[in-house]
Order: sequence, then structure tokens, then C-alpha cells
Amino acid sequence: MLRQIIKDFVIQQFNVDPSVFDQPGLTVADLGLDSLGVVEMLFEVEDLYGFQVEDPARYSSMRFDEMVADMEATIRAANNGQLPEPASLQGKA
Amino acid sequence: MSAASTVQRVVVTGIGLLSPLGLTRSASFEHLLGGDSAIRPAGPEITRWLPHALSADVDPAFAQQLDRSEQGLDRATQFALLASREALADARAADWDLDRGRIGVFAGIGLGGATTGEALYTRMHEQVQAGRNPTVMHPLSVPRLMPNAATAAISMAHQFRGPTHTYSVACSSSAMAIGEAYRSIRHGYADAIVAVGAEAMNVPGVFMAWNALRVMAKPRPDNPAASCRPFDKDRSGFVLGEGAAALVLETAASALRRGATIYGEICGYGSSSDAQHLTLPSSEGQYRAIRMALEESGIAPAGIHYLNAHGTATEAGDVVESETIRQVFGDHADRLPVSSTKSQHGHLIGAAGATELAISLLAMQSGSIPPTAFLDSPDPRCALDHVPRQARHGQSLQAVMSNSFAFGGSNVSLIARRYA
Repeated sequence: MLRQIIKDFVIQQFNVDPSVFDQPGLTVADLGLDSLGVVEMLFEVEDLYGFQVEDPARYSSMRFDEMVADMEATIRAANNGQLPEPASLQGKA
Repeated sequence: MSAASTVQRVVVTGIGLLSPLGLTRSASFEHLLGGDSAIRPAGPEITRWLPHALSADVDPAFAQQLDRSEQGLDRATQFALLASREALADARAADWDLDRGRIGVFAGIGLGGATTGEALYTRMHEQVQAGRNPTVMHPLSVPRLMPNAATAAISMAHQFRGPTHTYSVACSSSAMAIGEAYRSIRHGYADAIVAVGAEAMNVPGVFMAWNALRVMAKPRPDNPAASCRPFDKDRSGFVLGEGAAALVLETAASALRRGATIYGEICGYGSSSDAQHLTLPSSEGQYRAIRMALEESGIAPAGIHYLNAHGTATEAGDVVESETIRQVFGDHADRLPVSSTKSQHGHLIGAAGATELAISLLAMQSGSIPPTAFLDSPDPRCALDHVPRQARHGQSLQAVMSNSFAFGGSNVSLIARRYA
């Protein structure tokens, strides 16, 4: 589910071709985002799950699925092992 | 590039207006001449706390003109982008043969990204209240609320690589941006500059701050739209407006090469400080700014055929400004049409100077002078020809003046004449 949320956001916000996500071994770098784009992508998830990613720079060198797994693990660690329902928050600054 | 040794003549070839009176230059000016007012009771998020608040807002339909990538920008930046787009199309800037490094963007804005700033603090407190992590915030919050966001957006959208300056001088901001753009082109530091004023601060926290200053107009029960009444005995202050105005300034040489339509030539710019009071105006300071503009233009006071006043409808402001006009223009003050269009579009703060010079240029081009709306009982202490209530058509205007007198005591006077 987390993977889908990120995929949808990246396609909509950055006009990334959806077929990119079918590539085996897809890396975060393959998405073609600059450093600000990566941070914007992370914010989308942070905003929904109310957590803050530590050191987002390390994601740039990971595979996409590694990044998703790492994010999920971070969220679960802060929520007693659970992946909560994403909050829909008003008024993103 | 070094400055040219001869001064350039500077002309205005494009105007864009996104105002509470209309989403385009022609709609805004048409409603202005028609005496329409965009002043209304403020939105519910404001009137919840300030039941008598009034505002002049831009039609929400403006957002339909924005690209998806522009949706997240601060509201004032969005206004500035759209007004600039209209001005550049009007100027046929696509036909420019200029080096991009010699095209700049000068903006005037009072509070910067006020809408983004307010959303940021509101969210922070809501997060804390809800027991969530307040540090999770949109990464672009800073670049969106920075006061230079408009010049950044415009320069990137159109690939203008010349100087990008932002002037923040309260009510004089965009008048100063125009004056400085004029000086930069005149003295060879740029060939063309988009001078834009923008403001969007019609949000609750900001309104509470303005309310505390006790300068906001009290609503007239019979007709809230008529609540801002410059020079009238019953005036009670101003109404905050939002919007943007953009003017394309370039060398006359460039305009002529392109066969562009010229609205007028900027020929005088005066800038002075009162050094007296944080909010109350000083006639002496205003006088010096106006004289400075006149002397630079070489036009005698009697050569000014329309004056768009600062005219905020405050008790003190209108009297001081009228005295200044008498001092400068002497007997000509009996014949000089002076109107304050804030009665209809509100006080646009950072966008005021640009909006009002744009209106002055449109008046000169069309021969139609906008009225001071709702002037039913002129204050005898402000005795001038205020063009009361009705626009005047068929006028032959050779030169116009627009004045902006800001909190902090910064006075700016601009003069434009017919290009010949």
C-alpha cells in the first residue's frame, strides 16, 4: 500500500512514466528526481503517517523497493509494529 | 555589461492586471470606470473572529489558469505569475530580440508569502493540538513563503536571466519596484524589466493584526461595498485587497524595433522618507518625493493631467495628502483631476503602486479617468477635484502621476507621459 501511495504521487507530481515502476531492480535514482524532488516525495509519506524520515539522503542510492521497505519499518517501529491507517491531514504547508 | 554612457528612454509596452475587480486588464479597468466596487464582507474564517471585517478578493476562478506545478505556490506568487503572463503577452515579448541576461524582474510585495506563512503556523499548532509531530512540514515551505518567490517564479517561467530584485516597502513596494526598474533600464543595467506588484494576505491572523492597528474601514450597513470612502467626511479607513499588477518596461529603442504599442514613457521617479512616524504620513516628505519626480521629468506641475492618489480613506492620511497636493500644484490643484481608486479595488498594499500606475497609464491611453467612488460628502479639508462618483471620458491626458505613501514613511511618486 505504501508502495502504491508513493508511486501515485511520483507519477502525478513529477510526470514520471508509470511503466518505470515495472522495471526490475528499479532504483530511486531511476525516477529522475533531484534532491528536492526526493524530499517532496518523502514528505508525502511523512504527512500521511505523521513521522519524519531521518537522513533522507541515503535513499537516493537505494533501490526503490528497499526505500519503501525502510520507510515501512520506520513507521512500524513507531507504531508498535503496526502500519496505521494514513491520516488525511488538512492544509499541507 | 557596463552601463551605457547615454541614458535610455523607458517605456511601458505591456500591462497585466489580476485584481478584485477582474481577472484581466480590460475587465479590471472596465469595472473601475463603471464605478463597481469589489469590497465585500470578508470570508467566514475571518468574520468568525472579526464580524465586521471587509475585504476585496480575487475571483477564485483565477486558479483555472494555473498549471498543476503552480498549484502549490504561494497565492501572491500565483497572482504575480498570471499578471506577468498577461503583461508579457500584451507587450508581445515573444518577439523580443534581447539578450536574456538583460531582461530582469523587479517585484514589490508587502508581507511576502503571507498565505503560506499563515498555513504553516496554523498547521503547526493543529499538529501539536492533535498530538502529532509538528516538525513534519512541506519541504518547499521556505521557498514558497520567501518574499522573492514571485521574481523567482517569473524569471524561471520566462527564462529572464537579468537582475531580479524584490522591494518590500509596505504600500510603496511596487511603486518603488517600477521606479527602480526605470532607473536600471535608463542607466543601461537592463534592456527590459517586468515590474510586478503582488499581495495576498486576506487570511485570519493577518487580518487580526490589521484590525489591531485601527485603520480598517467600518462597514456601511446599507451598502458594505461602499465602505471605503477616500476624501469623504464619513470615511473610516481602508479595506485590504489582494491581487497583482505587472508592467513591462523596456527601452524605447527596443519597443520601436518591435513596433510594440507604447502605453507611456516613465519619466519621473521620486523617493523620500518622512523620518517622522511609523504610520502617520508627513506632508513634507510626500512633497519632496513629488517634487523630485517632477524635476526629473522636466514637466511643470500644470503639465500633470491626472493624479492617482494614495488615498487610503484614513482620517489623517487624506487630509495630509490633500495639503501636499495643494502645496505642489498651487492653483493647478483646482483643475487637476485626483482620484483614489482604493474605493473600488481596496488597498492592495504591495500591489498598490503597480496597480495604480497601471490604471493611470490606462487612463492616459483611453482618455477615461476613473472616479473616486462613493464620494457623497467631500471633506472640506480635502478640497480638490476628486472626480467624484463618475468616471470622466474623452479626456486628453499628456502626463499622469501616481503616488504611494507607505507605513514607515517611504514615499514614492511616479510620472508617465505620452511617448513622442
